[in-house]
Amino acid sequence: MLTVTNIVKKFNSGERTIKPVNGITFSVEQGTFAAILGKSGSGKSTLLSLLGALDKATSGEVIVDGVNISALPDSKLTAYRRDDIGFVFQQYNLIPNLSAKENVMLPMEFAGVSHAERSKRAGALLEQVELTEEMHGRLANRLSGGMQQRVAIARALANEPKLILADEPTGNLDDETGELIIALLRRLSHEKKTTILVVTHDHALAGQADRKFRLARGTLTEEAVRRQG
Amino acid sequence: MGVVSRSVGNAFRNKVRSGAVIVILAVAIGLALAMLVANQAVASKVDSLKASIGNNLTINPAGARGGFGGGTPLTTAQLTKAAAVPHVAAAQGLLAVRLATNNGTTTGSSGSSNDSGRAGRFGTAGTTSLQSAVAPGVLGARNNSAGASGGTAATPSFSLPIQATGITGSLTASGTAFNITSGSGFSDFAGTSTQALVGSTLATKNGLKVGSTFTVQDRTMKVTGIFDAGTAFDNNAIYLPLAATQTLTDQAGQLSSISVVVDSIDNVSTTQTALTDALGSSTVDVTAGSTNLQSAVTSLGSVQNISLIAFIASLVTAGLIVLLIMIMVVRERRREIGVLKAIGAGNRTIGLQFVIEALVLVALGTVVGSIVAAFSSNPIVSALVASNTTSNAAGRPRQGAANAVGGFGGGGFGGRGVFSGANQLIGTISTSVGWQTLVIGAVGILAIAAIGALVPALLTAKVRPIEVLRGE
Repeated sequence: MLTVTNIVKKFNSGERTIKPVNGITFSVEQGTFAAILGKSGSGKSTLLSLLGALDKATSGEVIVDGVNISALPDSKLTAYRRDDIGFVFQQYNLIPNLSAKENVMLPMEFAGVSHAERSKRAGALLEQVELTEEMHGRLANRLSGGMQQRVAIARALANEPKLILADEPTGNLDDETGELIIALLRRLSHEKKTTILVVTHDHALAGQADRKFRLARGTLTEEAVRRQG
Repeated sequence: MGVVSRSVGNAFRNKVRSGAVIVILAVAIGLALAMLVANQAVASKVDSLKASIGNNLTINPAGARGGFGGGTPLTTAQLTKAAAVPHVAAAQGLLAVRLATNNGTTTGSSGSSNDSGRAGRFGTAGTTSLQSAVAPGVLGARNNSAGASGGTAATPSFSLPIQATGITGSLTASGTAFNITSGSGFSDFAGTSTQALVGSTLATKNGLKVGSTFTVQDRTMKVTGIFDAGTAFDNNAIYLPLAATQTLTDQAGQLSSISVVVDSIDNVSTTQTALTDALGSSTVDVTAGSTNLQSAVTSLGSVQNISLIAFIASLVTAGLIVLLIMIMVVRERRREIGVLKAIGAGNRTIGLQFVIEALVLVALGTVVGSIVAAFSSNPIVSALVASNTTSNAAGRPRQGAANAVGGFGGGGFGGRGVFSGANQLIGTISTSVGWQTLVIGAVGILAIAAIGALVPALLTAKVRPIEVLRGE
């Protein structure tokens, strides 16, 4: 489903060349819940931005469902982000003056879904992430961190993407709420057969994943998954 | 929620700032609209001044101006010659005479009319059954006493003579169209015509209506129309067909003045010179219809220029306000723009959102600004006109009350002095909003919106979606 081949991202910082992503190659099957572990500054977010077409790789290929997104023009990348990718961010990144439901409806609006349909689907998605109906109309900036992250997950699912990329989704949450979010992502991954790729420095989170990778000095290595119980 | 409602909501995300921006925009837009309204009002005033006073010149016999008359009467040959001068659009011969009231209470010295010239101001050329509607007043009585008998005898009771003007067309003595309030103009211009136009105050004084009759010399004249010339003095007069006036006063072929209409106000000065040259400066005096018209038009032209510049400057200011605010908003919301791009919004969608946000601010600024303009445009026009005409009027001798000037003094002839200032001519300028103002205002405000909205919209297109990860 996701195949990454020898992907490189270089930056010039003065006279130095930095390579936060340096020749990474890996692949993930559909419906997999995968985690990429790494310390701060290890290039996790950079890798995520390349996989999500937020940024362009210096070289290498990212193939999602048979389409090489590294070669797509900007206009097609917009459609790719809209239709094939769902993002979940550490800082939630909801639009603060919109309600929870309106935030979930946004990607559907960009996809041209009718108002009635997107209202119905947004309501259902918020129910799936276990947000009660009374929370649907509440402004995003009036929700707790855990609730905002649930709204963000619902928004990521809005256009039924093939791939969800999550950048430290529990980074701003307490342990208990973080575990609930991870459980939610796992459930969605298995129920909807959505590929979920989480970058994190949280070993507990990574321990819940089907596959686990470690990113260090720009290179990626897969680690064995040890499940409890 | 669509892009429009989201944009309207975003415009008020920071209510204090949006309120302040709207107030500042309202002042700038209000000032721009007020200046536009002022500009249009002044332009309209210039047009009306030109229309009311016209591009007129008056040809009088040399020395015949002023209270004491004099000069040799003009002739129809001179009328023909004047009509042939370049830039003369029309030339009308006039014969102005004064008619004494034939009930024994008329002004004195009618017997001297032949000697002083019937165009002279103190003589009368005939009699009428009409009673003047203007009281002589103290000055008129004093002038009558001193000028008529030359003695110090007790001032007799008398009434002022009535101005009768013979015309050949449909224009007044000052070259403007008649404002006939009832009845109609002349249809018979022959020497035997019995038609007459009567001023409104004179008609009221004598109980005349259309169809009423009165006498001039021994001829019974019939009122065909009643006109309103705008002042009590000018309405204390009658108009007769020129040929009839000449016949009745025994002045065949003679004219007291020629009224000339020049094709453009820009050619008035050169035509004045050309007419003087053509007819001879020792024979005629050629005077402008209003010596202050050019001055008034120049003053108003300055006001127009100032208001136009202020209009443009205010618009540019308003546009810059919107531009800077929207640039600030785009910079503040780079991350949000990144989020929108990350979840699939195209550049066009995001640009449109910011354009609508700017339009909301401009629209509200325009609404409040229109209220500001409605209250400020009249004072602004008045202040601009006052400041631009004071200097022009300064140094010009201004005559006193309308009834106290001219050859006959109080209550008598004269009315408006030749030195009345440009600001008197301008009078009051009242503002109103016409379609032209609306169109120009709308185009100007659209320009503000374009400046203020399109640039930020282009800036949003440059924000990369990776901005969403900034600070993560």
